[in-house]
Amino acid sequence: MMAAMTASTPLRLLLVNDTDRPMAQLHAALTAAGYLVVAQAQGAAELLQLVDSQSPDIIIIDTESPSRDTLEQLALMGHAAPRPVVMFAEQGGLPAIQAAVSAGVTAYVVDQVAASRLAPIIDMARVKFEEDARLKKRLLQMEEQLAERKLIERAKGILMERRQLSEADAYALLRSQAMQSGLRLAELSRQLINSSKLLG
Amino acid sequence: MTVPACLHTLNLGFVALTDCAPLVVAQRLGLDREMGLQFCLHRQPSWSAVRDKLISGQLDAAHALYGLVYGMQLGLGNPPCDMAILMTLNQNGQGISLAPALADAYCQGASLMEISQQLGRPLALAHTFPTGTHAMWLYYWLAAQGVHPLRDARCVVIPPAQMSDAMQAGVLDGFCAGQPWHALAQQRGVASLVTDSAVIWPNHPEKVLACRRELAQQQPDVAGRLVQALLLACHWLDQPENHALAAAWLAAEDCLAMPAELILQHWTAADAGPLHFCDEGRVNYPYPSDALWFLQQYRRWGMWQGNDAAAVVASVNQTALYEQAARACGLSLPAVHDRHSVLMDGSHWPDYSGSAPSVGALSQYTH
Repeated sequence: MMAAMTASTPLRLLLVNDTDRPMAQLHAALTAAGYLVVAQAQGAAELLQLVDSQSPDIIIIDTESPSRDTLEQLALMGHAAPRPVVMFAEQGGLPAIQAAVSAGVTAYVVDQVAASRLAPIIDMARVKFEEDARLKKRLLQMEEQLAERKLIERAKGILMERRQLSEADAYALLRSQAMQSGLRLAELSRQLINSSKLLG
Repeated sequence: MTVPACLHTLNLGFVALTDCAPLVVAQRLGLDREMGLQFCLHRQPSWSAVRDKLISGQLDAAHALYGLVYGMQLGLGNPPCDMAILMTLNQNGQGISLAPALADAYCQGASLMEISQQLGRPLALAHTFPTGTHAMWLYYWLAAQGVHPLRDARCVVIPPAQMSDAMQAGVLDGFCAGQPWHALAQQRGVASLVTDSAVIWPNHPEKVLACRRELAQQQPDVAGRLVQALLLACHWLDQPENHALAAAWLAAEDCLAMPAELILQHWTAADAGPLHFCDEGRVNYPYPSDALWFLQQYRRWGMWQGNDAAAVVASVNQTALYEQAARACGLSLPAVHDRHSVLMDGSHWPDYSGSAPSVGALSQYTH
């Protein structure tokens, strides 16, 4: 999968170049390694614009960059699809690296980067990011299912109390009403709960 | 006070803001050494860096956004890490600025929605960190005025030092941050302060002294002495005659690297609620009710769905350790440990009504 992707469509990289570290020098090494450096951001505002306009696959940033908080917001609040971020840390900063694998951050590179070392790290970042994204999606689905189940339980409880129904009858009534009105069971339950609040 | 022969070194992180003053002042006045400590101050380029270095142990403690600590504790955007808040460092002193033309319209009574409609697009507003105080002040301010921060506006993060440039480039319509970054934007004519943060929540908590829970639990004596040194610094900072000297220290190249006059300007000029560092200790108590407010706001904006907010707060806010340290420096303790406040939308905090947690008068403005 990776080989095909890098052969036909090279990974598009965005470099954040706003610290003393010579990130710009990475440009040549990355290009040689078969990546497409689509843009370089000199600051946070430019980084935001470039994330929007260029949709990079991977963002490469120094751990000491002031723009890191900008990426945290994108990752946590999901304004834009989160992207894997590769970071460059101070030499010997490995504990920080291990500790800081956060929402948007999937890999760190410790200083003195050789072009040969970059490719596997970037590929690893991408694979790990895709895994994380899948996991997150599954978790989200599970949370939604749980929330829906809670809604249905509450709606069932309201029916049981108001109409003196058994649990099974209340559920059957909800289901048949949902089918008749073409609503999802959870959506009907939400409406029932809301209107029962209004009716007191 | 006896000075121990051997000083215990503490690496402390801070971000270039006026309210990092307690750390700088404690060191300059030698309060750290009086407590048998040696502060090494490390300016950090981002809150993310503060967070990572607290987790990794490169920093023992730090000047931190109240919300940063709870984001770390709850694992919002990072692996969860057991954290401690040792004390509140300051109240107030933040603000919201808008581009000059928008600020004029706003001050003449135009609503934020009207301004946004005139622009023909959602307002582009910046804060400083997703779980931070400025994000929560900005979101609350918008929601209280009928603007949903996540739907009707585009809220992004820009580092405070880059706010002026972003305003000048027209990338932003406004921003919420600490000082002296509003003063700088105003001086450059690219933004005007429209709301002092004390208008949103009078005497709101702002920065705290944060460390990993481990330090507070395993070295309570060191943590206690750290709190004492900073309490003395906070008390010193609240004396108006000391402001000029503190501003001069903050102006240094390795600190804020900004002119002292600019730093001093806002400090003395706030009309709504001044920047307080101590107020006889009323500022510094790590009130559980303050922390609960942040958790409630995270829930409001869909950032946290957890339970047991009270238990989380009881484990993070180190009230017992604080009380001991405050007594040791002769500072009085607040009579009540829940601060009562009325916020800009008229809602009370904490909410004693016993009903479901209120999310402000405009409760429809939730996630």
